[in-house]
Amino acid sequence: MQRISIDPITRLEGHGKIEIFLNDAGGVENCYFQIPELRGFEKFCEGRPADQVPQIVSRICGV
Amino acid sequence: MSKLKLASYWAAACGGCDVATLDIHEKIVDVAAVADIVFWPIAVDFKYADVEGYEDGFIDVCLFHGAIRNSEGEHIAKLLRKKSKVMVAFGSCAISGGIPGLANFKQKDDIFYRVYIESQSTQNPQKVYPQTHYAVPEGVLDLPEFYKDVKSLSDVVDVDYYMPGCPPTSAQIWAVIGVIASGALPPKGAFVGCENQTLCNTCTRAKTDKKVKKFYQPYQIITDPEKCLLEQGLTCMGPVTRAGCSNQCISANHPCTGCYGPVEGVIDQGAKYISALASVVDADSPDEADRIISEIADPAGLFYRYGLPGSLLRRAK
Ligand code: SF4
Ligand code: SF4
Ligand code: SF4
Repeated sequence: MQRISIDPITRLEGHGKIEIFLNDAGGVENCYFQIPELRGFEKFCEGRPADQVPQIVSRICGV
Repeated sequence: MSKLKLASYWAAACGGCDVATLDIHEKIVDVAAVADIVFWPIAVDFKYADVEGYEDGFIDVCLFHGAIRNSEGEHIAKLLRKKSKVMVAFGSCAISGGIPGLANFKQKDDIFYRVYIESQSTQNPQKVYPQTHYAVPEGVLDLPEFYKDVKSLSDVVDVDYYMPGCPPTSAQIWAVIGVIASGALPPKGAFVGCENQTLCNTCTRAKTDKKVKKFYQPYQIITDPEKCLLEQGLTCMGPVTRAGCSNQCISANHPCTGCYGPVEGVIDQGAKYISALASVVDADSPDEADRIISEIADPAGLFYRYGLPGSLLRRAK
């Protein structure tokens, strides 16, 4: 089975990768979209004062 | 002279450093006149395989944004180091871990649990966590390993220059591009796009050596726009932060949170700030000093806002 990796996907904020598997006839057998990143804002914002959170989460995406 | 070959990459980053670079607006055309972009995921469609195909040292300058959060960040940092003559740690994430470095206040297991199981927007009844290798009918899929700790760029590769800020200002980026294009590079290890003095030195707010009896959160008081914010009881990081941002926050009546990092010679911005605070607190006894200082909400999160991984602490236990 032929495999095509699109790594990284570009021209967007963030990280992504696409794996495409082709069958013997050359058609797409299956396709997987992967996000190879995590920073964990969901956790590390815990315990931060509420008024500081907008300043922190503005760095989730600066685009 | 042949054109410079420029690369830019983001590891654990937000893209703000890229956008600050694009915010030089039409001058980007001048950049194109002196430099060819050979890798820049946000703007141009090159793949990792293209970079792997370059000869070692093919890239003249690599502007590297983002902290090292997982094995992919480290792998690409090492790849770009090999392919680049000059490596710039660009922005506070790359220099010292930045905002993603706040994760060093938490444990990896707790981050995974919160994100993949507990979070209100997650539906994951089988409690599946990301795997570094996962077999699907067609083959094996790979994901990077999420490290226990966030690291800075210089923890994993040799860094030539450091450009501070979260993000660096566009004016400073443009100035640094000019220096790069001229070829007159500063000595290795230099901080570029900033000044070698504290923000306080460049701040025009009136300072009176007034001591602080009480600390406030910015929303709790209306500040005097002419007077030092620290003397008004706000935890302005100006005394320990490198100048160079054109005093953006303090001009907008908000205390500096320290994104340009510590001044030359200071290795731990937070510890230095604690000692700076000690000299402004107006207390008659150690107990009173303790009480005044204890009113500061989340001091560790504030004093190490952009640099926990790069500090002496590195992480909370
Ligand atoms: S330094 Fe700040 S602006 Fe740059 S990538 Fe990190 S969080 Fe974003
Ligand atoms: S502490 Fe802040 S407001 Fe006060 S002089 Fe320094 S930079 Fe200016
Ligand atoms: S005032 Fe402080 S936090 Fe604001 S941009 Fe300047 S260095 Fe960064």
